[in-house]
Amino acid sequence: MTQPIDTSIYIAITEAIRDEAKRLLLEGQVSAVIGYAGARRKGSAQPVIISQAEDAAKLIFSPASVNNLALYLTKAKKEIPKNGKIGIVVKGCDLKAIVGLMGESQLKREELYLIGVPCAGVLASTAQPSTGLTAETIAPKCTECNAHLPAGCDYVPNVQLPAPLQLEEKYIAEITRLEALTPVERWAYWKEQFAKCIKCYACRQVCPFCFCEQCLCDRNKPQMVESTPRPAGNTAWHIVRAMHLAGRCAGCAECERVCPMDIPLNLLNRKMAKELKELYAYEAGFEVNDKGPLSTFDEKDDQSFIK
Amino acid sequence: MHSEKQKHSFEPKIIAFVCTWCTYAGADLAGTSRMQYPSNVRVLKFPCTGRIDPVFILKAFQQGADGVLVSGCHPGDCHYIAGNFHARRRFAAFRKLLEFVGVDLNRLQFSWVSAAEGGKWVEVVTDLTEKVRAMGPMAEFKQLALEEQWSGTIGTPELKEAYNAI
Repeated sequence: MTQPIDTSIYIAITEAIRDEAKRLLLEGQVSAVIGYAGARRKGSAQPVIISQAEDAAKLIFSPASVNNLALYLTKAKKEIPKNGKIGIVVKGCDLKAIVGLMGESQLKREELYLIGVPCAGVLASTAQPSTGLTAETIAPKCTECNAHLPAGCDYVPNVQLPAPLQLEEKYIAEITRLEALTPVERWAYWKEQFAKCIKCYACRQVCPFCFCEQCLCDRNKPQMVESTPRPAGNTAWHIVRAMHLAGRCAGCAECERVCPMDIPLNLLNRKMAKELKELYAYEAGFEVNDKGPLSTFDEKDDQSFIK
Repeated sequence: MHSEKQKHSFEPKIIAFVCTWCTYAGADLAGTSRMQYPSNVRVLKFPCTGRIDPVFILKAFQQGADGVLVSGCHPGDCHYIAGNFHARRRFAAFRKLLEFVGVDLNRLQFSWVSAAEGGKWVEVVTDLTEKVRAMGPMAEFKQLALEEQWSGTIGTPELKEAYNAI
């Protein structure tokens, strides 16, 4: 039984984004707008950067607008010129990444013009871009979305978001399932998952928070993480990746979407987010904090695990 | 002076990451006080527990450690004022991650041992060594290190057919 999800507002949103981008570029308020444009496959969308007002008609928003465009603002994408303000189309989940990057002094709010999108959900990586959005084809992250309406944007199209459906929260269900297993069973599960990894580092390249000039995992003097795609190195890489994103990742799930081997990467990130919320009552992505949960401390922190 | 050394069928390798100001001095005190503790522990000295990256623990397990001990100054006694407070949060998160991946947390011990606590150092090291000895070798990471690229099984009918066709 497929439960359809109402995405009729996306047409109005597309119009509103086009008008706003055109106005911004004509008035010279921004030097470029980062958004989504139709791609070659039917129904698909790809990121686009426009700097001319006449190109504003290219912009769209559809259930295939899956990318987290915040990536194009980070240091990792140095080729994008930073002349003046940049307009960017953001869903609620992408906004969390931008908020996190602002907290880490990677972005300045005054250099951005945020075009927020009220979002009912986007397609999963496994769904064809032309399929309709249903309870089956929706991305797993959207089943747990708590930011359908992006807060604090410069412009949000005036549309009425349909009431979100109560969907099965996929990550929470999977984490609960894994936590109930014995360590041996969990190890077997992750061993199988990590064994698939081909070390393409797509998860790193697509992550807005992986902006280090030189990744620890690329260093070879000393080599901390084996770089060959053998099971030992893969396991180390995924543990290090999850640890470095702990307390920072807000769950745009881009790592999982781009993974060619379908490793449930966001599961590790969500698990860490859950633990940090339980331990330090911290949730990433809602407000600009210059200190994350792991870069600050409280003298009364739990130390029951320390002898 | 020396007690009779007991023979065991398995001698675990324990890696201890310690801070130079407290635990290393504490271990030194245990030594100068002629206290006995298992020689299974290999001590690695760091400026502070805040310098101990979780990746070191991972690396230790991968290189064949059966147990890992991380020890530093008591909260409030850090030579660098707050290094151990940061480490406490980091390791609290890291052990949750390791647990989720399926590592038995009984092999990983954290402790605060001050420069005056030679006796506590002996106690912590002995406890961990005996605990790990009872658990046997850390098989997971060692097996992983021996495994080659995934590729699934090599003797599949499709592959055999392709091989015979050459």
